[in-house]
Amino acid sequence: MRIFLFLVLSEMFETFHQFCFKKSALFENDFNINSFYDILIFFKLVFSSPFFWIGLLSLILMFIIWSTILSKIDLSIAVPIASFSYILVALVSIFFLHETINLLRWMGIFLILTGVIFVSVSSRVKESTLT
Amino acid sequence: MKEGQLFILSLIVFISLCDTFRELFLKSGVNALNQFNPGNIKEVILFILKLIRTPQVWISLLFGFLSLFIWLFILSKVDLNFAFSLDSMHYVFIALASQFILKEKVRLIRWVGTLLIVLGITLVTLS
Repeated sequence: MRIFLFLVLSEMFETFHQFCFKKSALFENDFNINSFYDILIFFKLVFSSPFFWIGLLSLILMFIIWSTILSKIDLSIAVPIASFSYILVALVSIFFLHETINLLRWMGIFLILTGVIFVSVSSRVKESTLT
Repeated sequence: MKEGQLFILSLIVFISLCDTFRELFLKSGVNALNQFNPGNIKEVILFILKLIRTPQVWISLLFGFLSLFIWLFILSKVDLNFAFSLDSMHYVFIALASQFILKEKVRLIRWVGTLLIVLGITLVTLS
């Protein structure tokens, strides 16, 4: 039961850090990189945003929680549950970033989700045939 | 497809390759260490000390940072849900690398999953 709580937390941090990174890279004007100098300006802008640092902190927290999860349960169980973050990121994009997702993109997201579940479950099938 | 979109798409392919290298180097770095069975906090610290002295771990970190920086640039250009969905491409590269570089046996069900991911990526790109 506690592991389930960890999984939910890990997904929330995953989604939250993506949201923060997106926020830190949103500028008023469209940014174009034409020279090496522009690259430095770009990162100066990103690093000066508090969102970037909150996102980084959230990424580190997620890494710690994810490592704890993996020490307790198998990757083939953890990944399918964690792939729920594809939906979570989509929902956050709609409600907080005002992005639009059309039917075709939803279908694509669900295909990716199914694919990720297939790929991760396949390692469990292999292990069970070994024992 | 617009020229700008093609550029972003190739950047996502590039960072997915970076992620794949990151995982391959991390895996080979961890494999080089002894089996890790943490009993107490001292063993955990010893493991971390061993980890940071492994060159593969540093190469892995380098790819990680490179991928993070380019990821931030991608996010400044396209929608989050678009970029996040396409980032699943590394599953495909890892399956290919496992089969052809590491000579691991990739099972049929995993190829089916990989194919579904490719189809999903195609739909997201077309949308």
